[in-house]
Amino acid sequence: MKARVAIRLTVAVYLLVLVGLPVGFLLIHTWAGGASAVWRSISSPDAVHAVMLTLETAAVVVPLNTLVGIGASLLIARRRGPWVRVLDVLVDIPVAVSPVIIGVSLVLAYSRIGWFGTALANWGLRVIFSPVGIVLASLAVTLPYVVRSTVPLLREVGTDQEWAARTLGAGPWRILWRVTLPSVKWGVTYGAVLAFLRTLGEFGAVLIVSGNVTGSTQTLPIYIFDSWDQNFDFLGSFAGALELALIAVVVMVILSALQRRERKLHAHSAL
Amino acid sequence: MPIQLSNLSKNYGQGAVVADVNLEIPSGELTALLGPSGSGKTTVLKMIGGIEKPTTGRIVIEGRDVTDVDARYRDIGYCFQAYAPFRHMSVAKNVGFGLSVRGTAKKEIRQRVGELLELVRLSDKANRYPAQLSGGERQRMALARALAIEPQVLLLDEPFGALDAVVRSELRSWLKELHQRLHVTTILVTHDQEEAMDLAETLVVMHQGRIEQVGRPLEVYDQPVNSFVQSFLGPTTLFDGVTIRPHDLVVSPSGPDVVTNIDDLGFEIRIAVTRASGEQTWVQLSRPEFLDTKIASGDAVSVSRR
Repeated sequence: MKARVAIRLTVAVYLLVLVGLPVGFLLIHTWAGGASAVWRSISSPDAVHAVMLTLETAAVVVPLNTLVGIGASLLIARRRGPWVRVLDVLVDIPVAVSPVIIGVSLVLAYSRIGWFGTALANWGLRVIFSPVGIVLASLAVTLPYVVRSTVPLLREVGTDQEWAARTLGAGPWRILWRVTLPSVKWGVTYGAVLAFLRTLGEFGAVLIVSGNVTGSTQTLPIYIFDSWDQNFDFLGSFAGALELALIAVVVMVILSALQRRERKLHAHSAL
Repeated sequence: MPIQLSNLSKNYGQGAVVADVNLEIPSGELTALLGPSGSGKTTVLKMIGGIEKPTTGRIVIEGRDVTDVDARYRDIGYCFQAYAPFRHMSVAKNVGFGLSVRGTAKKEIRQRVGELLELVRLSDKANRYPAQLSGGERQRMALARALAIEPQVLLLDEPFGALDAVVRSELRSWLKELHQRLHVTTILVTHDQEEAMDLAETLVVMHQGRIEQVGRPLEVYDQPVNSFVQSFLGPTTLFDGVTIRPHDLVVSPSGPDVVTNIDDLGFEIRIAVTRASGEQTWVQLSRPEFLDTKIASGDAVSVSRR
């Protein structure tokens, strides 16, 4: 009994120090000047632009990486061969290296000093210091999430259900849609949510490729950093941070509600 | 026309899992592939089902060479050892899957699924999910799902392997009855000789990727072609240097032999005897027979053939 109390106490203190106190102070400081000041701050054109750019980026990045992630997961879990192992390792690189490195590499590849930058510019496509670069950087850093949450599930589910469907006459697409994907949908969803949250919060890679142009290529995390570090607009930084945290919390709550509903539907089935 | 396997082999790397199998499986019958694990019986089943590709050899089902035909078009019903239920679909949707793939009208699917669920006695579970079924129920659902497409051949991989003893024997007699009613050509893989003897009309004994013997169950039991088949189909012992079934021996009170041990397994009693010649043998008696002899461990007895 004593051990259990000690464990609970440790966990509580840990959470308080790491999460509770910082978020608490964030709330207190944000609201110190009153609700109207907060509203004025988050409704300023630069703040609104930053939120919109962040959400638009996520709207492109999450669906795209979910599709690519499903494809890569199927290759990694269902195919064999040396190139599959290479793919397996490559997918992890974005989480293995610092996002700053990803940002720098993207600049090297796609700015005018890089191989493709000039060619792309001649086509009228500006990658670096533009939303296109932000999307590319976000795609790169969020590539692993769907793959890492889906591959273990695919392996655990195995191929028996797919073979059963095939002997019953189903073709590859029908097997994918009606058997494989439904059995790993929570892995895919979880990965997509993590990718969404990472896109919202990504700082390093995006900072380098975006060029940090206020009202143009500033995502929400960069807006927060800029308010804090350059403009000494602490309220702007606090309010932005709170907004970012709020979006994340809402998404997590929706996910957990969906999972609870599913669990009720399939009483005591493994999810 | 039956199922014909000719020169069928399967190699993984260097080792042959199935080596040069030639077999003719009669139509409308229930055939059991019997063998220990690693004997290649499941691989043979998977090759017939199109789930494994043979390294060499041909497979002909009812006159049609299906060796290069995808599992999708083979017209077989395959039941996996772990049943492979579609976990996210209700029982009714599982059973109707093959029909909906074939584009059967919804109304007809509903009717067929209803009939099949009645056949496998799952009518009251139509809207449940596989996770809410017992092992035996899941097995029956898998069977209904395979039967729904009215396959030419039904392939069953260790159908009772994962079930407890009571459900196992219940399901066994149920399957026997079902087969007698439907007469679908059925191939069943098992390592349980009792199950195979009970269900099969033809028995195929496999060992190390090869077929050892094919025949009617009693024929194989009474005239095994070699000592492997003999010992795999049931217990054996030595009597006067000859391998014999222990139920073909009897003990009678007083004589030159000595009872060294008695194992009481309930209905079956195993009596270990050291004979005057020094030969170790054992006798299998039923409980009533054993109670009649009134022998105990250490008694002097005589053992003889029935």
